[in-house]
Amino acid sequence: MSASKISARGCNVFYGDTHAVKDVNVDIGSKSVTAFIGPSGCGKSTFLRSLNRMNDTIDSCRVEGTITLDGENIYDPRVDPVTLRARVGMVFQKPNPFPKSIFDNVAYGPKIHGMAKSKSDLRDIVENALRRAAIWDEVKDRLDAPGTGLSGGQQQRLCIARAIATHPEVLLMDEPCSALDPIATFQIEELIDDLAKNISVVIVTHSMQQAARVSQKTAFFHLGELVEFGDTDDIFTNPSDPRTESYITGRIG
Amino acid sequence: MTPRSRSLFAADPQIQSRKRADARFRLYGLAAILASLALLAVLLGTVIGNGLGAFQQSYLTLEVELLESKLDKTGNRDIEEIKKVTTFGYDPLLTAAAERLIETHNIQTDLRAKDIAKLLSKSAVSDLRDFVVADPSQIGSTVSFDFLVNARVDGYLKGRVTRESIADDKMISAEQLDAVDQLVAAGALVKRFNLDFILGSDASDQRPESAGIGTAMLGSLAMMLVVLVLTLPVGVAASIYLEEFAPKNRLTDLIEVNISNLAAVPSIVFGILGLAVFINILHLPMSAPLVGGLVLSLMTLPTIIISSRAAMKSVPPSIRDAALGVGASRMQAVFHHVLPLAAPGILTGTIIGLAQALGETAPLLLIGMVGFIASTAPETMGDALLAPNTALPAQIFEWAKRADPAFYERAWGGIIVLLVFLVAMNAIAILLRRRFERRW
Repeated sequence: MSASKISARGCNVFYGDTHAVKDVNVDIGSKSVTAFIGPSGCGKSTFLRSLNRMNDTIDSCRVEGTITLDGENIYDPRVDPVTLRARVGMVFQKPNPFPKSIFDNVAYGPKIHGMAKSKSDLRDIVENALRRAAIWDEVKDRLDAPGTGLSGGQQQRLCIARAIATHPEVLLMDEPCSALDPIATFQIEELIDDLAKNISVVIVTHSMQQAARVSQKTAFFHLGELVEFGDTDDIFTNPSDPRTESYITGRIG
Repeated sequence: MTPRSRSLFAADPQIQSRKRADARFRLYGLAAILASLALLAVLLGTVIGNGLGAFQQSYLTLEVELLESKLDKTGNRDIEEIKKVTTFGYDPLLTAAAERLIETHNIQTDLRAKDIAKLLSKSAVSDLRDFVVADPSQIGSTVSFDFLVNARVDGYLKGRVTRESIADDKMISAEQLDAVDQLVAAGALVKRFNLDFILGSDASDQRPESAGIGTAMLGSLAMMLVVLVLTLPVGVAASIYLEEFAPKNRLTDLIEVNISNLAAVPSIVFGILGLAVFINILHLPMSAPLVGGLVLSLMTLPTIIISSRAAMKSVPPSIRDAALGVGASRMQAVFHHVLPLAAPGILTGTIIGLAQALGETAPLLLIGMVGFIASTAPETMGDALLAPNTALPAQIFEWAKRADPAFYERAWGGIIVLLVFLVAMNAIAILLRRRFERRW
């Protein structure tokens, strides 16, 4: 397997007095898909959001332990979360395109990071991102149309295009298919497969089938603890912890 | 409990009473709306009925011979010499003109020409002098003027003054009214639209007919400018900080509660504060629109902050997440995404706040923006801000408390002007909201 891109050691996350994530150690490989599964409220989304410091916006949230990206601690005071988030992109549960044109949605990230030297550069970046997000053919004739006018699945792919336009090394996806129908879900999963050829993808999902389909590694969270982490095939066929077994066979959760 | 009827068609007494309650409630609502509409109609009817007269004024056409022997005895058109002739020197010209008026229209009256000249407004003489001083070359010729008539005659034409009501009036006599009737019949005395009411300045107690609201309007405009320039940036900056950046703790909670409380503080309290701080401590000029604007800014700020915060709160957090997720800083997320989406709400709140400030009278009383002040229109922007002036509602208040009923009519006229402004501002607020509102 590939070398680890992100490593968490002794990671604890608190919301005020609530201990949401407890002492998690996990290594996320590069150019692969890692799935986080577990029942609602088990801390998997919270942990995901702490991987690019999206939790910083919540006042009461506190993160302890170390999380490293390529060996550098992302919670080091010298780290600017803005630079971090340019390298660790994020796709949210609900498609959230900006109420702007499709083009502007994708171009926003490259623009604020000064990635395009000219207008044609920017057009190339946008086209490239839309192609990689497998939505180019559907929107190439209406790049000026508002992003909010697309269908749910298209919106989510637009958000993925927006996230990958800045060329992140890691893409965090927080239940990206929970608001989508099976066809759109299938398209997104294909897309994840494709993306994982170049970057590492971390996906939180409620669907165990999805985790089994798209991921190489799976982490099972329960009540804030990382119960089991290993190769996806092992977790689903031969779980070592009884709680994992109960969850994947549908007895808890 | 009674057993439920088996048929869907059978009327259940419980359902029926519920339906009756429903219908009753709808009736109450309808009655409430009709009552408020009726009150609104009464209000508008009264305002328009009483105030429309102010937009019309009666004028008497006079042929005035600008006698050189009276106005420029030296005959060399020296402007300094001409200016030495006071308005008393012009009185005989008007009397002579009145005499000619009686002759040309063949007015049957026992009154002397002097008494006919008294039908004119007290402003007529000074208007005539202003005309001559402005253009001395006209001396020696005969010029036709439309002079304002005094408020009694004007009131007679508008039906406010009757022969019964003047029984004890020393300002006008029944004989004069007989002459007025003949002048009207002859077409020399007419009632027509009076632009000077909208553009002109306030006049003293003696000349209600020449009082206008234009200068007060400029005062209000200058104040609104001050309020806009101060409150929009400060209010928006404060609400951005409180909504997007400030930590949520005791202190910010306290600030929040106090902003809400400030919005409910009676405006006269802000007036006292303005008097104490801006005039007594900072020694800013009394009665100046700048000070009025400052006081109204204090009053408007809470309104703008509250509405701006509400507008920003209504921007879904997912938009902020999206911006942060692609690596925007918090500042970029606010300025690129939250603020544009909140802009219509912020602008609407600002305009509503301004409209509120426009109608405010009480704080202006305390800083001296009321009384017979708006007698000359400001000439420069600095004057507009610093020279003593009044504001629309304060001018209305001032007119309403004067004794002459002719001012009463002007107060109502002023209310019409104020209402037009308020309606226009609210219309702009609605238009902005329609135009820029985005859906997501």
